[in-house]
Amino acid sequence: MGSKVDDLFDYVQERCLWQFHSRTWDRSENIDGIIGKAIDLLAGREPAADTPAERCFVADAKVMVADFRSRFPWIREASETEVTEVLGGLRDRLTDLAITRSRNHELTHTLY
Amino acid sequence: MPMVLLECDQDIPERERHIYFKAPGEDSRDYLPAANAPTIPGTLSERGCSFCGAKLVIGGVLKDTIQMIHGPLGCAYDTWHTKRYPSDNGHFQLKYSWSTDMKESHIVFGGEKRLEKCMHEAFDAMPEIKRMVVYTTCPTALIGDDVKAVVKKVTAARTDVDIFTVECPGFAGVSQSKGHHVLNIGWVSEKVGTVEPEITSEYTINFIGDYNIQGDTDVLQRYWDRLGIQVIAHFTGNSTYDACRSMHRAKLNVVNCARSAGYIANELKRLYGIPRLDIDSWGFNYMAEAIRKVASFFGLEEKAEELIAEETAKWKPQLDWYKERLQGKKMAIWTGGPRLWHWTKAVEDDLGVEVVAMSSKFGHEEDFEKVIARGRNGTYYIDDPNELEFFEIMDKAKPDIIFTGPRVGDLVKKLHIPYVNGHAYHNGPYMGFEGFVNMARDMYNATHNPLFRLAAIDIRDDRALLVEEAA
Ligand code: SF4
Repeated sequence: MGSKVDDLFDYVQERCLWQFHSRTWDRSENIDGIIGKAIDLLAGREPAADTPAERCFVADAKVMVADFRSRFPWIREASETEVTEVLGGLRDRLTDLAITRSRNHELTHTLY
Repeated sequence: MPMVLLECDQDIPERERHIYFKAPGEDSRDYLPAANAPTIPGTLSERGCSFCGAKLVIGGVLKDTIQMIHGPLGCAYDTWHTKRYPSDNGHFQLKYSWSTDMKESHIVFGGEKRLEKCMHEAFDAMPEIKRMVVYTTCPTALIGDDVKAVVKKVTAARTDVDIFTVECPGFAGVSQSKGHHVLNIGWVSEKVGTVEPEITSEYTINFIGDYNIQGDTDVLQRYWDRLGIQVIAHFTGNSTYDACRSMHRAKLNVVNCARSAGYIANELKRLYGIPRLDIDSWGFNYMAEAIRKVASFFGLEEKAEELIAEETAKWKPQLDWYKERLQGKKMAIWTGGPRLWHWTKAVEDDLGVEVVAMSSKFGHEEDFEKVIARGRNGTYYIDDPNELEFFEIMDKAKPDIIFTGPRVGDLVKKLHIPYVNGHAYHNGPYMGFEGFVNMARDMYNATHNPLFRLAAIDIRDDRALLVEEAA
């Protein structure tokens, strides 16, 4: 499971700008929102897209999931439980990188 | 050796906090260059002033607006005409420069009357123009001219004009970045929501952080047109003052330059609930991804795939021709901030070029998080570099080509390394599919130009022979 999280983490590091938005709350909204939609997509469910924010998460998640499927064949075979577990691991790793251990001093500034 | 103290910095060891070398096996979370911090005394910074960040980068791009610079002539000249952002109305913004031309007596006795007179003069001389941005500069801020009061007076006298004030003198912040911030926040607080746009499509976006460098906006606009998406406002490439007042009506904010304009996207999200989608517009791969994301937001996936297929068929063969010839070349990116993270993977994936050194003048720590996540091992990442560091890093990294601005570009010539204008481009546009082919072409032409080799040869006496051989 660790190496599967590594695969996905390295991909997100290289390609996804949403993990590095301006403030802690933007980053955590994005990480939780997009990973949540990605789990739905990988489990074969249509993700809810009722609000503009949700539609934006789905747009980012779709591109990421398509790349996951083409780059990491194991994810096509993974069960929903495994998908949830691996993407949960990815979410934790991203939160650790971009929020908890980030050395960016602006993250908690109250204003933009 | 994650943080690096260069030889030339031995007397200013504080510089070590600003220079990072990414090595394999290290946890990059443990290191982040200090950024957006005051320049250390003793280092000759390449940064611009905060007023410049507001005027040259963002405000000055507007194509229907007088840019009244309240200060000495130099502030106006230094922020005029160097960025090459055309417009579809005959490049009004590039043809003219406006200044109150403050002299000693105005500094002594105050410049408000002079500002008022200049504003009227400019409106009288250009009766078709009804919009103006007024900027303070160091001298006029220091003497305490009340620019907002003057603007109020002029607006009262001329009911058909609208004026925006940017109070961000050169000393307001540590770099250009402060000017971006002040203009963004001022604009969203005072101007957004004061004009209602005509809505012509159910799919509406603001395109934020693109300044139509050599026609970038035109290239992207063609894509949005093909998808049936209405751009309410470009912030601010080829844009009008009033379009930017109506940004509150877009359904999605698409952000290219998150450094210079992320603030307004964040505020539009907070105040109006418009989501922010960050994209990269340079590079084939990235451009396709960006189009897919925007289209997916509106349910236009099929149209997007058609567009991407057509553009790819048209431009990919040319890109591949250059890729074959650029493969393995080493590149340095010595620019402002965001282009580091926009470009490093794009040139690697699409052109096979390795980025070996990158420096940022005004990037924040966020920009370094992005670029270190995307950039290669064995690459230098430098904040607010100085000239001696530039030479030392070039010596270590040995790039074949350097993307930077004309000022550093002049230094580059002395090293006989080809340089391409990384701010205003050589022969752009560089965005979009065709743009990236232009960028590849400029890289190919630069790296294969025999002039750099020839210019390094001394032709006096018998050494003249070498020239013939070289030719
Ligand atoms: S630093 Fe001050 S005086 Fe110099 S150009 Fe900038 S605003 Fe003008």
